[in-house]
Amino acid sequence: MTWLHELADELAARGITGRERRRILLELRDHIDCEPGCEARLGDPGALAAGFADELATDCARRCAFDVFGALALAAVALLVSQLAIGRAGGYPGFSHGLSLALFVPAALGMFIAPQVALVAGTLAALRAARRRRARTLPAAELALIRRRAWVGLGAGIATVAGLELYVADFSSVLPGWWLALVGGLAAVAGAALLVASVRLARAGAIVTRTGGCAGDVFDDLPAIRWSWLRAHPWRLGIIASLIVAVAMTLLGWHAEHSLIEGVERGVLEGLAAATGFALLGTAIGVFTADPNTRRLTLLRRSARSPTSPERHDKTR
Amino acid sequence: MRADALNGQLDSLILATIAEHPVHGYAVLQRLRQRSGGAFDLAEGTIYPALHRLERDGLLSSAWLIEAGRRRRVYSLTRAGRSALGARRRDWAQFARAVEAVLG
Repeated sequence: MTWLHELADELAARGITGRERRRILLELRDHIDCEPGCEARLGDPGALAAGFADELATDCARRCAFDVFGALALAAVALLVSQLAIGRAGGYPGFSHGLSLALFVPAALGMFIAPQVALVAGTLAALRAARRRRARTLPAAELALIRRRAWVGLGAGIATVAGLELYVADFSSVLPGWWLALVGGLAAVAGAALLVASVRLARAGAIVTRTGGCAGDVFDDLPAIRWSWLRAHPWRLGIIASLIVAVAMTLLGWHAEHSLIEGVERGVLEGLAAATGFALLGTAIGVFTADPNTRRLTLLRRSARSPTSPERHDKTR
Repeated sequence: MRADALNGQLDSLILATIAEHPVHGYAVLQRLRQRSGGAFDLAEGTIYPALHRLERDGLLSSAWLIEAGRRRRVYSLTRAGRSALGARRRDWAQFARAVEAVLG
């Protein structure tokens, strides 16, 4: 087996396929043609393939996090427009005015619960990608966390736009045509963007990297939060975030329905949904760290980075 | 000089090597060797992940060219690459002065 064949196999084993793999092989073939017999100086094919994979996986995961965030922003626009324009369209019709409960229930879940999950997961994915934008390679665990956050955000974003489309279908005979066209069109555009982002994210996940290191948790993304009472108990962050969601949704519901009571009802419902979301998905999106060893490692790493930590002073002496 | 001693400087060296005119991967290595008097003894393959990374970062652009019947990828500096190289040269000059001042 030649050096190039070995490299081809190693690249494929690390998930580098298609155009990228062909390009690498053509460049290395040209290199060998320039100086026949130089294969030994090119290095180990496995190490070279790993070098490509580590950098490519990091770059792809970061870009995908931003792609997903952009697609989720379109879904957020569709949702916001639907809610801000509903007042002009005569307010939300009662669910009994729709075509079917089978359409209304998933529509309501998609429109009122999924957006909270999408907002939190998508923002955390983009935040981690932005904070680590200068790193050449990231640990495999951290890349997996970024991709997991992006997947959760994508899934929730798709549920949101699907919910909007179902709502449009359910109330197509009640709500004015302009509202249906506006919201249905915006949701379709956002849905297409989310599907494109999901294809890219799936490709990014196919690249195999084995760089060691831990993924950290939500406080690596929010270093401004310095209160130890919160850092030591990340679940408290989930409760505070749920309360913020409840207040924001109360205000939005109040504006949309012109009724404080309905706004409060919606705010409480969405706050509870956000808290449930944190409980169910908090570990997956790195808000909480399930493994106590990883948690200890993260805390140690953070304390070493802190400008007031004794370890840091020792290092600089 | 081993590859790990070049850690952090390889990208700057590649940018400087490509700054004069567009070249392919093998020529980048040849120039690095010539200019350093053979001091940089790195695994030759490591140059390619670096070239790809610099292109992804927008500092290099590349295209396939046919030269002497061979299909080869030729790299050139982008405008962002030129300004990055300028900044790296300034940083290096400052760093080298400081080290020299301490070492004597």
